[in-house]
Amino acid sequence: MKKIFLVITSILLLCSFRATTNSKIKSGEKLVYTGSYNMSGLMTQLAQVTMSTENVSTSKNNYLHLSCELATYSKWDKFFKIRDIYETYVDPITMKPALYKRSIDEGGYTKKEKYVFKNNTVTSTARKRNYPESVKKFTIKPTSIDAISILYQLRSVDFSKYKAGQTKSYTIVFDEKEIPVTLKYIGKETVNAGNLGKKECYKVSIGAKTDALKGQDKNLIWLTADDKKIPALMKFSIPVGTGQIALSSATGI
Amino acid sequence: MQKIYLILSFVFTLLALVFSIMPMDTIALLPIGLAIAFCLLTIRKSEGNKVKIPKWLLTISVLCSVFVIGKTLLIKDEVVVDQTFEQQKIETKQEAKKELEELEQLENDLE
Repeated sequence: MKKIFLVITSILLLCSFRATTNSKIKSGEKLVYTGSYNMSGLMTQLAQVTMSTENVSTSKNNYLHLSCELATYSKWDKFFKIRDIYETYVDPITMKPALYKRSIDEGGYTKKEKYVFKNNTVTSTARKRNYPESVKKFTIKPTSIDAISILYQLRSVDFSKYKAGQTKSYTIVFDEKEIPVTLKYIGKETVNAGNLGKKECYKVSIGAKTDALKGQDKNLIWLTADDKKIPALMKFSIPVGTGQIALSSATGI
Repeated sequence: MQKIYLILSFVFTLLALVFSIMPMDTIALLPIGLAIAFCLLTIRKSEGNKVKIPKWLLTISVLCSVFVIGKTLLIKDEVVVDQTFEQQKIETKQEAKKELEELEQLENDLE
């Protein structure tokens, strides 16, 4: 499931083309997706993915809390229960991350990670079940961001100015390292966007220098071709199969 | 040949039953489909009163398919409210807020 999530986030995240610094992301937004996996040729619904935003204030600053939760449907819980939280606290204007956290519980396997972003340095703290805590400090590119905030940043990209086949390289921080990714704008397509109905979308392909993604133009994301650029559909291909994440409801947009 | 088909019908019907009972969703349609196909082949290759067993197996497989399709169409997929997970989310948020405050304090001290 970790691979699936990496793919999802990669797909979403990696599609960052160059993001502008003016965030259009509002607090109180909630996007609910149905995650399906292709099992022996049949698309089987496995989990619910919820992406939400919320304002968080400390005594000195305001942050936008971007959260992505993954929970298996009750019928799968007895087999393989998944409860994952990926969250980041970003500057509401620049969308630059300050703190990124990941807490996963996948069939009993647990892992907690914390990434503190400070200028071009990231201090990561990881704690796996039955392993001692590990701390790592590494330098990142000034444009590198975490896996969740990039999901939201890509929605500020003006895809209407991109030509089919146009590519863009980028890097995200995931699993205590930077992962280079290449994004390719493919064109426009109409897809089902849950409660939003059928929507014309920007179709973007994601390629990453990681073993988690497989095939060329097989990891795709469709973003509604409007001001909101809501991710309506994501398709992924990983070494163990293929799947998709489809929007079922969007509220607070 | 008839015997081989009958054995395969039996094996796939058994798998169809197991997959239908377990929460395997539409994956159960795979053994069900194979069971139906082999049952039909067995019936075609059988003579006289030898069709009784494959007919029973076919009935079981068809019932399994009705059960699985019914479950898929009528039972809505949902995530149960997990109190432990909800509590964990609250605690994580509180912890993050504290960590952000500490970071800001650290930056202030450096300035």
